[in-house]
Amino acid sequence: MGQYILKRLVSLIPIIVGISILVFTILHLVPGDPASIMLGTNATPEAIQALRESMGLDKPLITQYLNWAGGLLVGDFGQSVHTGEPILPEILKRFTITLQLTLLATLIGWGIAIPIGILSAVKVHSPLDVIVRIIAMLGISVPNFAIGTLLLLGLSLYFGWFPPIDVVHFWDDPVEALKVYILPAVTMGIVLAAGIMRMTRSAFLETLDKDFIRTARAKGNNEWKVVIGHALRNSAIPVITLAGLQIGYLLGGSVIVEHLFSIPGLGQYILDGIYQRDYPVVQGGVLFVALVFVLINLLVDIIYTWVDPRIKY
Amino acid sequence: MKKRFLAILLTVGMVLTACSGGGSETAQTPSGGGQEGQEQQQEQAAGPTELIVGAEQDPVGFDPHKVPAASSVRIYSLIYDSLTKLDKDLNVIPGLAESWKVSEDGKTIQFNLRKGVKFHNGREMTAEDVKYSFERILNPDTGSIAKSYFSSVDTIEVPDPYTVVFKLKNPDSAFLANSSSAYASIVPKEVSDLNKEAVGTGPFMMETFESGQYVRLKKNPDYFIEGQPGVDAIKFQIMKDEAERLAALRAGKVDIASVSADFAKLLGETKGVTVKSYQSMEYSYLGINVNKKPFDDPRVRQAISYAVDRNAIIQVVWKGEASLTGPVAPAQTAWALDVSSYPSYQTNIEKAKQLLAEAGYPNGFETVIETASTYPDMVETAQMLQQQLQAIGIKAKINQLEWGNYIETWKSKDMTLLVGRNTSGIDPDRSLRFFFHTNGSANVWNYSNPQYDQLVEKALEATDQQERKKLYDEAQKMLVEDAPNLFLASPKNFYAVNEKVEGFEPTAAGEVYALVQTSKKN
Repeated sequence: MGQYILKRLVSLIPIIVGISILVFTILHLVPGDPASIMLGTNATPEAIQALRESMGLDKPLITQYLNWAGGLLVGDFGQSVHTGEPILPEILKRFTITLQLTLLATLIGWGIAIPIGILSAVKVHSPLDVIVRIIAMLGISVPNFAIGTLLLLGLSLYFGWFPPIDVVHFWDDPVEALKVYILPAVTMGIVLAAGIMRMTRSAFLETLDKDFIRTARAKGNNEWKVVIGHALRNSAIPVITLAGLQIGYLLGGSVIVEHLFSIPGLGQYILDGIYQRDYPVVQGGVLFVALVFVLINLLVDIIYTWVDPRIKY
Repeated sequence: MKKRFLAILLTVGMVLTACSGGGSETAQTPSGGGQEGQEQQQEQAAGPTELIVGAEQDPVGFDPHKVPAASSVRIYSLIYDSLTKLDKDLNVIPGLAESWKVSEDGKTIQFNLRKGVKFHNGREMTAEDVKYSFERILNPDTGSIAKSYFSSVDTIEVPDPYTVVFKLKNPDSAFLANSSSAYASIVPKEVSDLNKEAVGTGPFMMETFESGQYVRLKKNPDYFIEGQPGVDAIKFQIMKDEAERLAALRAGKVDIASVSADFAKLLGETKGVTVKSYQSMEYSYLGINVNKKPFDDPRVRQAISYAVDRNAIIQVVWKGEASLTGPVAPAQTAWALDVSSYPSYQTNIEKAKQLLAEAGYPNGFETVIETASTYPDMVETAQMLQQQLQAIGIKAKINQLEWGNYIETWKSKDMTLLVGRNTSGIDPDRSLRFFFHTNGSANVWNYSNPQYDQLVEKALEATDQQERKKLYDEAQKMLVEDAPNLFLASPKNFYAVNEKVEGFEPTAAGEVYALVQTSKKN
């Protein structure tokens, strides 16, 4: 097991190198230039030139890449070409915000999805099951910006309620933080829940058909003991896989929800970087997100062995 | 026994009193000694007031000589002052300079500075700082956007700490108006990185900047204008989504936010919120590359002008909340020519067809209109133009570009037709010379007309205002006739304002002049 984890961690190195080259190249292929975006349509060519030089953009691309990659080796993500602020502290600051939002959204999503998914599988083809499936379909189909905008405008219009405008951390003030994060988390949670619910339902349906479930029932166990005690762990693998992917994806920052609710998370940071062609910001941000994604997947693989001891690496 | 018990009780009581007394003392000291505590005392029972402004974008730095982004300007123009400023009718009035004198030949301008003005770090602002600031702007390495404003400057002299003399290469009648720009802010010479440290003389001081969240400025208690600013702090709360700003306004979490014409209508009936509007300095345009066939023929450009229905664009794109405009936006009442003097503003399809036929295109042609997808008004304007041009056989394809890509296209001087928005400068020299002179920095249309060049050059050097006005009138007519750009509509800007806010009267002179006069009820 230890060896397996080590091997996975070592395999991160080529992944990071690959991503860094890919991001750098794609970004520099995109038309647009940070200096002229910053100066806008009132700029003189000489002002643009001076700014390009001070941003270091007049150097050949390969030099720019090596400078950046060299910095990465010693943990230096570089500075924003617009504000001159170091990037790594900003990424970490925003990641903590995205992390809190993701965890709350996941909690809400699972809280809704898993019990309902199980119930729907146990009472398969009942009216309850049909209703749940329709709602799940709606949850997947309705885009999250629509849900978010409705929540925001509806609450402010009919109840005069609006979430606090300054972001607070859960460890500083849990009640205030809950008010800040609840609307975006519900918005994201609804979309998450729809997927997890469908996955839970189908995984349970499959498990409930298995021989050992029939044996468990034949022993005279009551139905809930069968479902929770025998079927739950055996159905968990596909659900965990999906949840891992979802969390990894959300930790990259849910751009639309962050934008709508002014949550200064990682996705918003990277998106702003793209608009302004702030190359180091986008490069550093994407690299960080990729790293998180890979690590979450590793974590999921480790959880597998705990859920299902038959899995060995 | 009883006595002993009483003694213990008393002792405990005394110790407790002493402790709690000490406790409250230490709790009071920091707030009493701090700035906020002092302000609280001044405000007496009312408590400090904080104005919350909903901002659309993150600022991208605070160096007034280097950062021209609107999201930054609205903040640093509260932190810094310039030599002059504009009143609400766009007249030049004293700023850091108390008075000024222009020599007979127009080539020497002497500014007499206000005495006793202090930077936020406590040092007095002197003529040396003015000299330093202008030299910094004129240094090509700074890459300042304002360098082109002051290209006439030859030398800057400092005869005494309160006098600055600008010697000019040629008379420059736009100098005074340009010196009011926030890009020409006076900065202290000892601060090397103004993006890291914002130190000005202005009504507000930088307090905190939380990127992606807010910028908080606090009142400068020593501001040189008595009674300003009217609030103790301003907080620019970054809310990028307009739906969110709308919800926040309704819930009273934001005091002031700029809104679109659509949202202004929606908010019109909301209790506790009033909508204020003003005629902006901006205008939308259709830019034409005069080097590209068939647009190199002025008759083709005029044909387009006759085919376009500007009033329809105003009704559809701007919901009627815009004015017809020439090359100088109508907000510049002293200079803008009435649009009735432009014959090609009458929609006349027959005349347009005839002009097109004379130019050799009786059946029209195919072309491309490029615009920025970031701004819905630009896309809608392009779509209106596409429809209207069909009437004379011009089939245009619309190409929507992402903002960075759009700027590249604008800069390339190789576009065909481009829909965009300009800000007509404070002085007509900007709107006419900078944008359309053969060597004008923003003349990306390859427009070159020696007669026009001569007119705007002469106007810049004219010291007599009457004569200047005449020259600019002629230049505006010539430009509209030649049509390297079609000037379409100058929109109104809207602010939604909470009822607790008093005295916020936005004008084309800029948000900062409205904000310093604003106060707020708690």
